[in-house]
Amino acid sequence: MVELTQNEKRLLATLEKEQKADAEHLASVMGATPEAVVQWAHLAGDKGLAGVERIVEKTFVYTDEGKAYLKNGLPETQLLRFVLPGTQLVDLQKHDVFKIGFGQLRKKGLVNVEGTSVTKTPGTSTDADEAALKNPSASDPKTKDLIKRGILQESETVRYVISATPEGLRLAVKGLDLREETGTLTREQIISGAWKTANLRRYDVSKLPKKAYPGKIHPYQRIIGEMREILLEMGFTELYGDIVQQSFWNFDALFQPQDHPAREMQDTFYLKETLPLPEGYEKVKAMHISGGDTSSTGWGGVWKEEKAEQCVLRTHTTSLSIQYLAQHPNPPVKAFAVGRVYRRETIDTTHLAEFEQLEGIVMDENVTFGNLLGILREFYNRMGFESVRFKPSFYPYTEPSLDAEVYVDGIGWIEMGGAGVFREEVTAPLGIKYPVLAWGLGVSRIAMLRLGLKDLRLLHKSDVAFLRETPSLRPTKGGI
Amino acid sequence: MAVITLPYKYLERLTRTDKKTILEKVPLIGSDVERIEEDHADVEFFPDRPDLFSPEGVARAMRGYLGIETGLPSYPVKPSGIKFTVDPQLAEIRPILGAAVIRGVKFDDESIQSIMSLQESLHWAVGRGRSKVAIGIHDMDTVRPPFHYIASPRSRGFIPLDFTGKMTMDEILEKHPKGRDYAKIVKDFPLFPLIVDDDDHVLSFPPIINGERTRVTIDTKNILLDTTGTDKRAVSVAVNIICTAMAEAGATIESVEIGGVQTPTLAPAERVVSATECSRILGVDLTPATMSEFLRKMRFGAEPAGADKVKVQVPCYRADIMHDWDLFEDVAIAYGYDKLESHPPKTFTVGKPHPVQASVVLAREAFTGLGYLEVMPFTLTNEDVLYKRMQRPETKGVLHVIHPISIENTVVRTELLPLLLEFLTINRHRELPQRLFTVGDVVLDCRTHQQAAGVSTHPDADLSEAYATTDAVLHELSIDYTVSESADPAFIDGRRGDIMVNGIKVGVFGEIHPAVLLAFELEHSVAAFEFDLRAVPGYPVL
Repeated sequence: MVELTQNEKRLLATLEKEQKADAEHLASVMGATPEAVVQWAHLAGDKGLAGVERIVEKTFVYTDEGKAYLKNGLPETQLLRFVLPGTQLVDLQKHDVFKIGFGQLRKKGLVNVEGTSVTKTPGTSTDADEAALKNPSASDPKTKDLIKRGILQESETVRYVISATPEGLRLAVKGLDLREETGTLTREQIISGAWKTANLRRYDVSKLPKKAYPGKIHPYQRIIGEMREILLEMGFTELYGDIVQQSFWNFDALFQPQDHPAREMQDTFYLKETLPLPEGYEKVKAMHISGGDTSSTGWGGVWKEEKAEQCVLRTHTTSLSIQYLAQHPNPPVKAFAVGRVYRRETIDTTHLAEFEQLEGIVMDENVTFGNLLGILREFYNRMGFESVRFKPSFYPYTEPSLDAEVYVDGIGWIEMGGAGVFREEVTAPLGIKYPVLAWGLGVSRIAMLRLGLKDLRLLHKSDVAFLRETPSLRPTKGGI
Repeated sequence: MAVITLPYKYLERLTRTDKKTILEKVPLIGSDVERIEEDHADVEFFPDRPDLFSPEGVARAMRGYLGIETGLPSYPVKPSGIKFTVDPQLAEIRPILGAAVIRGVKFDDESIQSIMSLQESLHWAVGRGRSKVAIGIHDMDTVRPPFHYIASPRSRGFIPLDFTGKMTMDEILEKHPKGRDYAKIVKDFPLFPLIVDDDDHVLSFPPIINGERTRVTIDTKNILLDTTGTDKRAVSVAVNIICTAMAEAGATIESVEIGGVQTPTLAPAERVVSATECSRILGVDLTPATMSEFLRKMRFGAEPAGADKVKVQVPCYRADIMHDWDLFEDVAIAYGYDKLESHPPKTFTVGKPHPVQASVVLAREAFTGLGYLEVMPFTLTNEDVLYKRMQRPETKGVLHVIHPISIENTVVRTELLPLLLEFLTINRHRELPQRLFTVGDVVLDCRTHQQAAGVSTHPDADLSEAYATTDAVLHELSIDYTVSESADPAFIDGRRGDIMVNGIKVGVFGEIHPAVLLAFELEHSVAAFEFDLRAVPGYPVL
């Protein structure tokens, strides 16, 4: 059964007697304002119990000027009374209403002016104009003219006629509980026991009266958090570090040749700041030039200290991993980082100049390329991706290298990230004697898939409505 | 990345198998099939394998991978008897020259296109945009040896490719499209590199443009290849890749004499590697014999040499083999990544979050408990948002990127609050109240640390809300603070406070100044605050 407020009930009870009435009338009967009655009628109307008819009526009201003319006649009428045979223009000019009245007389052709004398036009009068002034009508062009002259004003009055529907009448006849209703229970009512007899208002629970918005974590942060947790569960130590890195740690220590295209201004954000090279940098230099003590040939050519000292916004979190390895050269090392990285890309819906990268490293006495595949399979499985496959790839600082792909229903195989064994050219100068497995992935790619975003920028310039609407728990299927 | 066009008919003829097999297996040697068309496929190869930047190179690799023809391909070279002289003045300009004679070529439209695009791909991948290596291909029957690589006055003229009139080299840099593209490589030198024949006809103005005279056409039978540059190894790789690709297409290669040395030799390099080490890296059991077999599949010459060693001959076109592990990757590819046993390592380790996370997680918890919604603004922003609109002076230690992408992204953020106000601007049309927070990195003087900030906007947002919220969050984080009058111009005078810990300012709160609100196009008052997470007890010293 529909729940009615006390006021709707009172309205229906009143309508039982009145059947159909103006809101004004009902208001005076019910001791309320007409506005409130109309509002109650609309509420009852939504439930099919009452009808509300909006009637718009046009009326005309006289301006102060109009009121005076109604008493004394229009200026042209007043002036016309003085137009007698032989009347001179100068005589008329003495009258108060001359300016307005004479203009109207000329305009309407009621007088003729010859030289200085003024005569009535035979067979004319202002009778029709006076009639229009007394009984204005929306269809009369003369009324419009009077409105234009500022003598009359048009006004709209809206009135509401309210009636009960047969269903409303049936309810009213059946009898309505008209006792005083209690909305919010007061402390007094609770402790005094008044609640026992109070008529507690019943609410319609089929409709949410008002939305509440909780404070919560960003959906993207939740995805990052999920990945962090998986890696912590898998026994990895978390890294955190500086956004600004020396080229040495961002590139050179990773055996990226100094003339590599990725190092150009076009692809990397450079800063004018420099930092002094770390102790022992010469080993990295030797590796670039000649391969140091390893079986490598090195890149040959020249290696410039100034280039390595330049600061950049880190292009990958590998700059953190490599410094961690330099500080922890003894096995086992298992570490990961999730952090913002920077590429000088033109920003569009799928490319940002800054984005989150997740990266992990494992260094141990007997770890193998096969172990790397195992770690990745485990990680992606835990993220919910059941099918994972690997294919050859290329990264400047890993060898062998691979790309991992996961299968997503409805989309197919999606490239998820790259991985490989750090080249010996990378690890040897740091005094690391065992293989280092390394892998990275773009976090935003998974976020975009999961959150169904078409534009990556929305992760960082979000619509509050999107954040409010995205639930904390998003059931995932097959990783998405 | 280099995307290579592979015409099916040509590829099938060279590979000696059908296109279906090729397209199915080509990703397994390291590539992405980009597009499959009626008569060709576009396939992307990695920059470390420029030897795969031609249908001939792909066919050679696929024959090995599919077992049709394995082991080291042989490329006989006989001397052409042709000499090149090199002007010593080039030592400071563009010292390295490589060259070869390629005879008996049979061009059609497709194979000319293929050699031209190989040349372009090499310019990109090996030549670093022609600065390190530039390649010229000439119809040899239009010129007369010996050839001379000289440093020439810039005023010398010749007819460049695709033009009909003579131009000086200076004019070429100014007017020829290629001249404009590559002028920066040579424009600062007083003399320009030039290759001429014995009758002083210009073959090429490296690294810019060839002469029209030696244009290669469908009727060209014999080619002279010139390769100039600044890096000996890169120049020789480019020569080897082009010569071996042409040899795969049926041409014969002849060497030329440069400075008394016959070049190219197209001879393999030798490397002796350990099967034990390879097994250790890959996680599979390999004997020298099985390892050799896999390497031969990848077109290396390989023979077991004793109980552990394998003697490998690395083909001259494999520029990427710098280290033994580079060979191990080829072994893994031949073995098949899908066949490698994949299981996580067994060593016991304990996971450990970074200590910074403890503060960050608790700050998030406090904010969300107070009904604040997390946002994650960009870290790159600009002076207008960070300072001008905030009525604040530029923060000391702000970093400016040298070549920003746009005026929107010129600096790394030093505060979070301006970015939250920007967020309110974006969300002006959304329901109030809006309470937003963010926790994240800011950078001062190359050092990164975390800050936290919050904003609340609705018609009744005021100092007392800002103060109460600040107090609640700081209390949750056990920050023992005091408040002193603030002078921060982003806030209303008399409605702002500095958060002090041990006499040091660690943050600020208050009611945002109306002029700041208007600068962010906001109409409702904003209660705001920001503080440095380094004030949280236990925040690590980095």
